[in-house]
Amino acid sequence: MAKPKVSSDWMCGCAGCHMSLLDMDERLAQVIELVDLRSTPITDLKEPDESGVDVGVLEGGINNTANEEVAHYFRKRCKILVALGDCAVFGGVPAMRNFVGEEAALQRAYVETESTDSEGKIPDDPELARMTPVRAIHEVVPVDYHVPGCPPDADVIFHVLSELAQGRKPDLKGDLLHWH
Amino acid sequence: MITLTIDGKKIEVTEGTTVLRAAQANGLNIPTLCDHPNLTPYGGCRLCLVEVEGARTLQPSCTLPATNNMVVFTDNERIRSARKFVLTMIFSERNHFCPFCQVSGGDCELQNAAYEQEMTHWPIQPAWTTYPVDASHPYFVLDHNRCILCRRCVRACGELAGNFTLGFEERGAKSFLVADLGVPLGESSCISCGTCVQICPTGALIDRSSAYRGRETQVERHPSICTGCSVGCTLDVLVRDNNMMRIEGDWTSELNGGVICKTGRFLPTVEDRTRIVTPLVRRDGKLVAATWEQALDAVAAEMKAQGSKVAALASPRLSAESLHAFKQIFKDHLAASTVTTTDECAATANLVKTAAALGHAFEGKLEDLHTADCFLLLDEDIVADHEVAGFFIKRSLPLGASLVLVNEGAHPLDLNADANLKFKKGTLAAVIQGLRAALAQNHTAVSDAAAQTGIAADTFLQAAQKLSEAEKPVIVFGKNLVSQGEALVQAVIELAEAAHASLLSTKGQANSLTAALFGLSAPLNLQDIKAVYVALGDEEPSRKLTQQLEKAPFLVVQAAYTSQLSGMAHVVLPAQTAFEQAGSYLNLDGRLQKSEAALQCTEDVRANLEILQALAAHLGAAINLNSWSAELNTAASPVALVL
Repeated sequence: MAKPKVSSDWMCGCAGCHMSLLDMDERLAQVIELVDLRSTPITDLKEPDESGVDVGVLEGGINNTANEEVAHYFRKRCKILVALGDCAVFGGVPAMRNFVGEEAALQRAYVETESTDSEGKIPDDPELARMTPVRAIHEVVPVDYHVPGCPPDADVIFHVLSELAQGRKPDLKGDLLHWH
Repeated sequence: MITLTIDGKKIEVTEGTTVLRAAQANGLNIPTLCDHPNLTPYGGCRLCLVEVEGARTLQPSCTLPATNNMVVFTDNERIRSARKFVLTMIFSERNHFCPFCQVSGGDCELQNAAYEQEMTHWPIQPAWTTYPVDASHPYFVLDHNRCILCRRCVRACGELAGNFTLGFEERGAKSFLVADLGVPLGESSCISCGTCVQICPTGALIDRSSAYRGRETQVERHPSICTGCSVGCTLDVLVRDNNMMRIEGDWTSELNGGVICKTGRFLPTVEDRTRIVTPLVRRDGKLVAATWEQALDAVAAEMKAQGSKVAALASPRLSAESLHAFKQIFKDHLAASTVTTTDECAATANLVKTAAALGHAFEGKLEDLHTADCFLLLDEDIVADHEVAGFFIKRSLPLGASLVLVNEGAHPLDLNADANLKFKKGTLAAVIQGLRAALAQNHTAVSDAAAQTGIAADTFLQAAQKLSEAEKPVIVFGKNLVSQGEALVQAVIELAEAAHASLLSTKGQANSLTAALFGLSAPLNLQDIKAVYVALGDEEPSRKLTQQLEKAPFLVVQAAYTSQLSGMAHVVLPAQTAFEQAGSYLNLDGRLQKSEAALQCTEDVRANLEILQALAAHLGAAINLNSWSAELNTAASPVALVL
C-alpha cells in the first residue's frame, strides 16, 4: 500500500504549531517513514497536489479572504482535514481582535502605533486579501479532527500523525488534550 | 436512612442528602462547576446532570435530594452529550480563550471540566461581546470576560463572609456580577476578605500578588496559623522558590471553614516594612552592624548590671514557646520589675483572674456562634478586630438570628441591630445591671439603669425580650469590657447565667490568652527602670509604646521590621516573622494550634525562641523549653483548653 500523502499550511497563526511539529525531533524520521510528506510552508512545494492528498493539516485561524481560499482548497483536496492548534480550533490569540472589531484593529496597527512616525496609512491595495473577523477553521469548512493546544505538544502532534498514517482515528484525552 | 443506587452501587445516606453528596461520599465522581462543598447547593450550571430512572428529564444532582429506592446513573451517552452542551453554551458566552488566562493549565475548573468531557473544540463560537475589567480593588482584579455566572462568589460573600457586597443584575446571558448597586469593587462595601477570589472556578477573580506567577502544581502549600488576632484561623501559605505567592483559607478547617480576612489573606502579601537583617549595636550614637555575639554580650552585660531594674515586654503575637522562655528569663531569672506584654493582656488578664477566683472555665466555644439565634455584643467591635468571628455573626443575621448591640459610639452593625443600646461613657456596668433587671422584669431597676446610662427603659426591655426569646443566645465581649476589671467580668458571667447564654470573649491578639496564663500581664511601669527589653517579633509597635520608651536609658528591640522604636534602640536583634518560624498559639477558643515554618529567611535573622535561648545562655539562666504546655495546663483558664 502506498504511504498516505500529507500536506500542511499555516494561516492566521504564529508558526508555533509547526515549530512544535519540528520539536518531534528524531520522531520526525519515524513520521517520514510512515507518510509521504507533500507540501508544507517550510518545504519547496507549497500547495497540496491538485489530485488530492490523504491528510491536510492547517495551523492558524481564518482572518482574511486569502485564508478562506486556503481553507477551501485544503478541504477540497484533503480526505481528512486536521485543525492544528488553538488558532485553528478556536481562533486563538488573534481572535482577541474580534472583541474590538476590524476597524479599530487596523487603526491601532497602522495609525496609532507608537512607532508610526508620520500619519500612518491603512493598506488598501485591491491586490491585498480582504480582512474578515478571525474564525476557527470549522466555521468556514468542515474539520475532521481538532487538535487544540498553544501550541499542541510535539507528543500530541506525533500521536495524531502516526495514528492517521496508520489508518486509525486519533483520540485526544488525558495528557494529550490541552488547550493552552 | 435512605437507600439509593448510583451506577449500580447501593448507597445509604441520611434523609436530606443530595444525590451529588451521596455520590461524592461514596467516591463516585460527578462533574460540577457552580457547586462548592462550603456553599449551599445552587443548581446553576447544570454540569452535574444525572439520569434518574423513571424521570422524564435529566436532573441536577446537586439540588436533587436522594429518595428511597432511587436509581441514578451518572455517566452515559445522554448525560455526556448534555454536559458537553452545557459547556458549549458557557464557552459561547464570553472570552474563554485559554492561552492568555492566569488559571489555564490545571487551575481552571471550567477548563478541567471540558477536558473531562473530552472536548477538543467549541461547537458554538463565542459571541464576541466585550465586558469590562474591574481593576479598582487593591488586592484583586475582576475580569467579567472570564465569568461563567456560577454565583459562587456571590454566595461566598453572603453565606460565608456575611457581607453581601456581591450580587447580580440583569437576567440570562446578560447577567452581570456587580458590587453593591453597581459601583467599582474598590469603592464598594467589600471588606477584602478575598473569599470570592479563592472560590472562583475560573480566571474571573484573580489575586494581584500571585497572578501569572505559578500554577497550583508549581507552588508548595504550607499549612499555617494566622497570627493576626486570637481567632487563629488555619490557612495555607502558597510558596514558590521561597517567595510567598498568596495565602488561602483551608476549606476543611473546623475552625474557620476556609474563610479568612484581609489581615490573614492579603496584608502579609503586601508587607512593605523594611526587614532588619543583621544585629545592630549603637556606637557613637549610631546603630551599626554587629555580630550576634557582640550584640548578645552587650544585652547580657546591661541586663546583668541592672537586674531588677529591667522592664521586659513581649508581643502577644509571639509563640507560646517564646513567651514561656521570655517569662523564665525576665521574671524567674532576672526578677525584672515589670515583665509583661505590649498589650498588657488588657483583653485577657482579668478573664484569667476571674477563672482563678471561680476555679473553673466559664466561656463557651467559638462554634456557639454557628448555632446562636441571638447575639449580644457588649461594647465589642468584633467585626473590626476579630473579623472572621464577626463573619460568623454577620452571616447568621439574615437567617433569623437577632442582634442586641451595646455600644458607646457607632458600630458597623448598627443597621442590623434588633435592639441598640447606646450608653453614656463609663456606664457599661450599669448597662449590664439594666439588662439583668430587664430580664427579671424588675422595672424599677430598669428605670434606674436607664437614667444612669442614657438608654431608654423600653430599649432595655426590648433587648431582654430578644434574649429571652432565643434558645441559644451568645454574649460576646472583649477588651473594652475586660480591661475595666474583674467585677465587670463577674457581672457578665451573672448576666449570661440569667439569660441562659453562652459567653465568648475575643481575647486580644494571637497569644494574649497564653501570655495572661503565664502571668505576663503587669501594667507597664517605667519608674526607676534602667533597661528595657522589647521582644516585638513582627508586631508594629504602637505610637504610645514608642513614646513611653523614648527616655529608656538602655533599650533592646528584638524585631523583624525596622520601626521608630528599633531606631531608638541601643541594641537591635533581628527576628523572623511568624511564617518563618514554628510555634504554638492558643486561640480564643482555648485551642492550641501549632504552625510550622513556611518561608526561610536570611542567615543572620533568627527565630524568636532561638534569640531568647541564646540570651538565656549569655545570662547564665537555665530555662526549660518543654514545660510550657504543662504550665498552661495547670493555669486557671476562662475557656476549657484543648492542648
